Amino acid sequence: MTRWEAVRLVAALGAVEMCLVRDDPVAGPLLAQARRAAAGTAVAPLLDEAAAISRATSGDGDAGARAARKVVQALVRAATQAAQAVALAAP
Amino acid sequence: MSVRRAFGEWIAPGGALDAERLAELERLLVEGCPPTPGPVVDVHAHLGRDADGHALDAADLVADMDAHGVDRAVCFPANEPGDGDAAFAASNAAVLGAAQDHPGRIVPFCRVDPARGAAEAMERAAAAGARGLKLHPVAQGFAPDSSECVACVRDATRRGWPVLFHAGYGARALAAPFAALLDAAPGCRIILAHAARGDARAVWDVARGRGDVWWDTSLASLADVAMLPPSRVLFGADRPYGEHATARQLVALAAAVAGWDDAQVAGVMGGNALALLGETP
Repeated sequence: MTRWEAVRLVAALGAVEMCLVRDDPVAGPLLAQARRAAAGTAVAPLLDEAAAISRATSGDGDAGARAARKVVQALVRAATQAAQAVALAAP
Repeated sequence: MSVRRAFGEWIAPGGALDAERLAELERLLVEGCPPTPGPVVDVHAHLGRDADGHALDAADLVADMDAHGVDRAVCFPANEPGDGDAAFAASNAAVLGAAQDHPGRIVPFCRVDPARGAAEAMERAAAAGARGLKLHPVAQGFAPDSSECVACVRDATRRGWPVLFHAGYGARALAAPFAALLDAAPGCRIILAHAARGDARAVWDVARGRGDVWWDTSLASLADVAMLPPSRVLFGADRPYGEHATARQLVALAAAVAGWDDAQVAGVMGGNALALLGETP
């Protein structure tokens, strides 16, 4: 991942994270955008999985949907942190 | 039905979540973190059931701790003040009971609402073995520099307790209120959860050289954690809102970005917390 790619991802994932915290339905489309931005980078598997889970769950508030939302949050957090580390690395 | 745990969640087969795939992603994430040289203390865990649906019991927390090499966890109630006096009586008692059920693993802090019977609640908790205080200015709707909050912090300081404050999502501007609190409660020891996310730069400016302030890493931003002196940073996961895998990743990445050495990482992961709590490894 280049620093350019990392900065772009950090910005995209910051919006995703806040939508997930607020349980905002726009989280899914934003996550899909971030996944495309991450294609081919080291964090792509994390965001592929997060996007797949997001597409497959209804978000209707049952226990399974709550667990899915928490897992998606964790995957997004892992990708965000990895991208932040690249962005913060010395040039 | 067989279930397994990944990223802190129980995952049943046949649903939208692929338990094996998630466990593999979690394993890869953790494998990327260097081993921790010393005891590991998670300073931020909630037990009970929050009003927003998040829930965790002591058995599941200890299982998480075992899976991630966490020796001890500082625990306090979720946002569960109770229907009666709303003074966290039952939820504090549950945390104190969990500490007795898991000796050496759970360090109990009590939680109070500064505006609702706080002095009595702290007295009860102290008698039952509480070791510190958790305050949540957003959930309980108070300002850190309000007279009620200052009274709680002074009471905790008199008891030798550190005070952990929520200082992240939803918090208003933090720097000026915490500066006022530190000035109003001499000798207090304050832990700012989430590394004061959202107001970290301003808080650092006022906390530097003023009082005994620590920062926990739970659900914090890497840029905020990496700018802090590692001697003042405490590992935290914020179970069940966060989980241990990404919490460990955050510290590993902060160490790499900021150039912490092994001794500094050991301090962040547990040594600093043990010193703050007055415990030996």
